[in-house]
Amino acid sequence: MPSVTFDHVRKSFGDAVVVEDFDLTVADGELLVLVGGSGSGKSTILRMVAGLEEVTSGTIRIDATDVTQLPPRARDVAMVFQDYGLYPHMSVRENLSLGLRIRKIAATEIDRRVTWAAGMLGLAPLLDRKPKQLSGGQRQRVAMGRAMVREPKVFLFDEPLSNLDAGLRAQMRIEIGGLQRRLKTTTIYVTHDQVEAMTLGDRIVVLADGRIQQIGRPIDLYRAPVNRFVAGFIGTPPMNFVEGGLREENGQLSFIAAGVSIKLRRDNAAKAKNGEPLTLGIRPEDLRLDTSPDRAAGAAPDGDALPGRVVLVERLGGTSHVHFDVEGGGSRLMASVSNDQLPDVGDTIRVRVPPERVHLFGSDGKTISNST
Amino acid sequence: MLRRIGLYAGLALAALTFIYPFLWMASSTFKPREEFGSLALIPAHFTLDNYRTMWARAPFGRALLNSTMVATTITLAVLVFGSITAYAMARLTFRGRPVLNAATLAVLLVPGQLTLIPLYTLIVQLGWIDTYTALIVPYLFNATAILMLRQFFLQIPQSLIDAARMDGMSEMRILFTIFWPLSKPVLSIVAIFTFMGSWNEVLWPLLVVRDQQLMTLPQLLTVFALGGGAGSVGVSLASAMVLVIPVVVAYAFLQRNFIESMAGAGIKG
Amino acid sequence: MAAPYAVYLLVISAYPIVFALVLVFLRWDLVTAPSFAGFDNLRMLANDGRFWRAVANTFVFLSIHVPLQIVTALGLALALNRKLAGRGFWRAAFFLPVVISGAVVAILWSNLYATDVGLINKLLVKIGIAPVSWLTDPNTAMPAIAVMVTWKNVGFYVIIYLAGLQYIPRSCQEAIEIEGASAWQRFRYLTLPSLLPQTILVVTLSTINGFQLFIEPYVMTGGGPLRRTYSVVLYLYTNAFAYQKMGYAATIGVALALIIGAVVFIQRRVIGKAEAL
Repeated sequence: MPSVTFDHVRKSFGDAVVVEDFDLTVADGELLVLVGGSGSGKSTILRMVAGLEEVTSGTIRIDATDVTQLPPRARDVAMVFQDYGLYPHMSVRENLSLGLRIRKIAATEIDRRVTWAAGMLGLAPLLDRKPKQLSGGQRQRVAMGRAMVREPKVFLFDEPLSNLDAGLRAQMRIEIGGLQRRLKTTTIYVTHDQVEAMTLGDRIVVLADGRIQQIGRPIDLYRAPVNRFVAGFIGTPPMNFVEGGLREENGQLSFIAAGVSIKLRRDNAAKAKNGEPLTLGIRPEDLRLDTSPDRAAGAAPDGDALPGRVVLVERLGGTSHVHFDVEGGGSRLMASVSNDQLPDVGDTIRVRVPPERVHLFGSDGKTISNST
Repeated sequence: MLRRIGLYAGLALAALTFIYPFLWMASSTFKPREEFGSLALIPAHFTLDNYRTMWARAPFGRALLNSTMVATTITLAVLVFGSITAYAMARLTFRGRPVLNAATLAVLLVPGQLTLIPLYTLIVQLGWIDTYTALIVPYLFNATAILMLRQFFLQIPQSLIDAARMDGMSEMRILFTIFWPLSKPVLSIVAIFTFMGSWNEVLWPLLVVRDQQLMTLPQLLTVFALGGGAGSVGVSLASAMVLVIPVVVAYAFLQRNFIESMAGAGIKG
Repeated sequence: MAAPYAVYLLVISAYPIVFALVLVFLRWDLVTAPSFAGFDNLRMLANDGRFWRAVANTFVFLSIHVPLQIVTALGLALALNRKLAGRGFWRAAFFLPVVISGAVVAILWSNLYATDVGLINKLLVKIGIAPVSWLTDPNTAMPAIAVMVTWKNVGFYVIIYLAGLQYIPRSCQEAIEIEGASAWQRFRYLTLPSLLPQTILVVTLSTINGFQLFIEPYVMTGGGPLRRTYSVVLYLYTNAFAYQKMGYAATIGVALALIIGAVVFIQRRVIGKAEAL
């Protein structure tokens, strides 16, 4: 049975439309991530599920119950806030148990649940402390514990890791993912960080300007983005983009931009027209450095290789990022390569663009073809 | 929706209980004796008699002048002397600074009633009874003001002072040409609560001033209302109005400053 | 640069405090030379029915004023703490009596409380209740003054509570809503505990204010009826001004300071314990 259903949900503040026709079903036990920049509407959608924002039009159902008009306390959801929202004057134990005490659950049951949650989250030694005595990561766990003990129908996470430092964030990501898999509670998780989205989500919803850009599994968004926005948003490091157009010559289709000419495969470019402005996208990890030493600088650009001059090499350990300017053109691109035979700054290099890894986008941003 | 209306209605009723008494008081001063006590806000027979009587029976004009002069002098003194002291305590180093800090805080803890009688005897012995000096001197420095100013002065960047010192400015110059323009919000807060405190002060004037010509307005009003000089309620209320009207007018225009000032001072004090 | 202040502190603050303690042991009418009185003043104070009556009066006052102050100020602050039209106006209305002189308020309310022509009794009669002799009945006089002082100062405490309410994090408020709390439960578990520092402040300041009551009984009742509204400061003033007993008056002053200190200290302890519960 599906757990959360959005039926053409729309939210506006006066004339400003913040969420446009959000229509989606979250499966029971799924971890759905809403990802996007600020102003994308992701937090608003979450808060509408919680009941903290009114729905302008449309309905939201949790397990077949229409909750759109219900106040938050009648919805059986639990939320983890970005700044945790812990009650400062209560101990950790009291923070965890308040929701249960309010609902008049038996003391023995409260104890059992608190002990269980504290055990799962490693909070047992902290139960009598106050929030101000805890670190950021510990407070985060208490916030999660508070949501867990309620055993709600839906977990809602509002950018819970944004206030933590990078190392802690990576660790908590894993813990949250593991926890959700064990508890199997339907979860809606909001973040602006696409790494969190990719690692945690069963499915991801990419939002921009209140509109759904794409819904899908992480791997699908990575391989087959439906528009340029999603292509550029998903994937670290981000996709390279070059503006240009299509040319057909002697039966061979090529992508032409200042200084570059890249051979395309016929099936990729089938939907594009001759001369139409296009954007070519290629992920840094798909570019290959041509390391054959006998290609002379100044030779005419070969169909699918770009000449470039290295401007920066970022050595990151396992892989490195080579930033280069395309000779004769205006683009600065980046290739992610392994560590053997890294060029130096100022070197001339040749970069191969495998035609089967190329993404093409039309002038409207929509994808014309993706890599295969 | 219904709850909203209920809320506004409740608030309006509450606000009314705070404003209505003053309106009633004001309108009573314009009613002749026979009409006094009626619930109507608009007098049936508007009259200025109460005011004329009041003005004739006691030197209210003089008292108004006295209050204005005393309050203004004290406010200026507190602002100037207070700034000098606060500046010294915040930005200059000298022996005994921590002692001065502690003493200022301690002063705030002691209820005024403890020092009331000794101060009074001091005034008597100095022969300052029935002088403006007695009304002003004890209030020249205000601990709350000094603490507030000091707090504010601590936040002004040291670089401004260093640059000024290198230019050869004296400390007083620095204080009044650099710190003061930057301190307008604090200065206005201090000015308001000092002025209001002095304007409304009654107990001290009742102790040290006997001569009606030197009485402050709230003092004269009290003496007048209690001493039966008023003769009728309308008259004594009229005298109260003289004290209240300037304050209400100022308040109507500056209420946010008033609230900020008096609430802030009260919390610090 | 700080020298003048140091001098001022010495003369206007330090010296009087010390001299006050000295005066306790003197008898002086300001005309003749002071004479040594030993512990006479202290003995007199301990046995002085009027003084202890004044202290008892103050406790009667406080027992009504402080709870009333908390309830009204908190109630108004909660009402004002939302998106309201004309919020500045409401705030200004409640704060108005705070800026008005105590003498004026006392005179005004003397008239409001007047048994025959007072506004309050007139309104009561209109709705069918018998008029009350507010200021002439010994049982109602001090309570009446307590209500008046509450009215005068509530705006000040509303501001304090409003400031405290701003500090309650929004996520806490939203969290407790999601956790299922009703309006009363939100108040009891989140709002009220979060406002504990403000409540302590309200209690402390209004208690100190209560002990310093002077102009209200002076103007409204002269200390009667049956000395039931006689405040400590009024008694101090009378001893100094009317009876010319400086030593004794100073003794009252010292005793008052000590009582205030003790009461405030106890209050803070009790509230601190209540917080721990």
